Amino acid sequence: MKNPRPLFWLLFGVLLVLVLALGGLRVGSYSTSYGFVLNTLQHYDPTDPAQLALVQLRLPRIVLALLAGASLAVSGYLLQTLVTNPLADPYLLGTASGASLGAIASFVLVPSLTVAGVYLPPVAALAGAFGATLLVVALGTRRGRILPAPLLLAGVAVGALAAALGSLLTFMASAEGSLRSVVFWAFGSFERAGWDVLPYPAAALGISLFVLAFMQKDLNLLLLGEERAAALGLPVAQRRWLLVLLAAGLTGGVVALCGPVGFVGLLIPHLTRGLLGTTGRYNLLVCALLGGGFLLACDLLARLLYPPAGLPVGLVTALFGVPFFVYLLRKNN
Amino acid sequence: MRFLLLLLPLAALLGCQPAPEQAATVVTTDDLGRRLTLPAQPRRVLALAPSMTEMLYAVADTATIVARVPQDNYPAAVLQKPVVNNYPVDLEKLVLLRPDIVFTIDGITPVDDAQRLQEVGVPVFYQRFRLVDDVFTGLEKLGRLLGRPARGRRVADSLRTELKALVAAPKRAAPPTVLAITWQDPIYCYGQNTLFTDQIRLAGGQNAVTETFPQPYPALTREYILKLNPDVLLGGTFEKMDSTFFKNYPELRRIKAYQNRRVFAITGNLMERPGPRVVEAVRELQQLLKK
Repeated sequence: MKNPRPLFWLLFGVLLVLVLALGGLRVGSYSTSYGFVLNTLQHYDPTDPAQLALVQLRLPRIVLALLAGASLAVSGYLLQTLVTNPLADPYLLGTASGASLGAIASFVLVPSLTVAGVYLPPVAALAGAFGATLLVVALGTRRGRILPAPLLLAGVAVGALAAALGSLLTFMASAEGSLRSVVFWAFGSFERAGWDVLPYPAAALGISLFVLAFMQKDLNLLLLGEERAAALGLPVAQRRWLLVLLAAGLTGGVVALCGPVGFVGLLIPHLTRGLLGTTGRYNLLVCALLGGGFLLACDLLARLLYPPAGLPVGLVTALFGVPFFVYLLRKNN
Repeated sequence: MRFLLLLLPLAALLGCQPAPEQAATVVTTDDLGRRLTLPAQPRRVLALAPSMTEMLYAVADTATIVARVPQDNYPAAVLQKPVVNNYPVDLEKLVLLRPDIVFTIDGITPVDDAQRLQEVGVPVFYQRFRLVDDVFTGLEKLGRLLGRPARGRRVADSLRTELKALVAAPKRAAPPTVLAITWQDPIYCYGQNTLFTDQIRLAGGQNAVTETFPQPYPALTREYILKLNPDVLLGGTFEKMDSTFFKNYPELRRIKAYQNRRVFAITGNLMERPGPRVVEAVRELQQLLKK
């Protein structure tokens, strides 16, 4: 795009998110009008089941979709910058396969799914996500320096290993119910959203965006490659660590809560750069807003297409994201 | 020449074999409408679904049952039989067992596998049950196919009598709505198009899920359950569900079933299996609804 208008796209992102959120609040088993939605938001009465559903079920779901989309998009943006490879996505660090392995293990090995009063799958997924990320980072570093190419390869290798172990567990699973859980989890879903789990992804996103606000220039320098960035005075090794840390924090929590929702972290960073250029000042903010808006739209579509439980959101992101991605590719060429 | 001489004993051997007797066969259609040619007096049978194994044990000569599937556990005698895998179907082992007929129910065995078995000479007979009475007619059908029609009729009739005595009690004015869940994350339940709907109706209640979904066991959202607001929830004891299901989904504590502590465990194998214990399942549901 010749004349990037960052403020226009920022405003567009905010409006998109608001419109989709309001639309999303209306969709559910109880039929609710916009008037009812607005009234509930102003005077919430928890004794009315429809209002309870709206505030305790639909609203956290929308917030989670928004946070997940924004986190994954930003994480994808960071990792694409880190390894200067357009194929990079948030799951490059083994996060998704590690989280899947953790979740599958809890579904298959702990039929009660609850240990000492704690609901296991998200906890196991989080542990798996960070475990795999640690392993990938350990394999991708030499003497304390993160090396993009080995990191990329380590991500692929650890991902494949975790996926194989997950498949092994799935294959060995005896209960049909466990298989359903595994399959359902693998596609990603916001159905389990609740207010109690939202602070973690919200904090991760808030902190990341705050830190990154001071780093936009550094990100652009990193794109020049290690030597030139270092020549321009950037502490490359330190910045890379920071990026990996932020990306892992952003992705791990989201994957643990929603499952490995695919494609948003690949598509949205490309879309952002296409709209605003590679080095735009508001790139990360727009990227977060578009990511959030995209997942909100996908979740809304999933629930409209296949009520009541909705299609797995990961299917929708791929079904609608891929053609769009291909279109972008063709256009850029 | 020497080669031909070597073949001689073989020829003699073949010559000695009695001509294969023309076993009597019957042509029939199973519940999926598949045309099958079956031996009139099957000597070797097996079932690929636990419920069907229970039916075989009720009707067949148990000596003719040549194998069981891993999930089979009732009656206890079945545990003595060799195991054949049904998921995925162990085609090779099945061929090796040389059954005259393999019985299964709709939705358990892929029709493709049945077709492949058919091609190697093992006919697969499907049954399908939507109503409790379908199970009774299924038992009669089984009796006819196994050459024991009287036995099948007797089993079915005694179950019919038992059920009639059970449901003779006067019906309540408004039958309580009952949601039976099969899995907690995601929440799956017994849909409208399962045998459960008829079982719970006979027991004096009604399936809370009145909408018919494409899947027999649909996934539900919390909001959907909140709106259903069932009188009774089946899926585990109150204490167990309180510390798992309702702990994970605290919003659902508002439903009537939780408020009135009408949350009960059901014997899983009993509800899931459309077999000769189907009346027992109705009795269990009836007892729970009285609580």
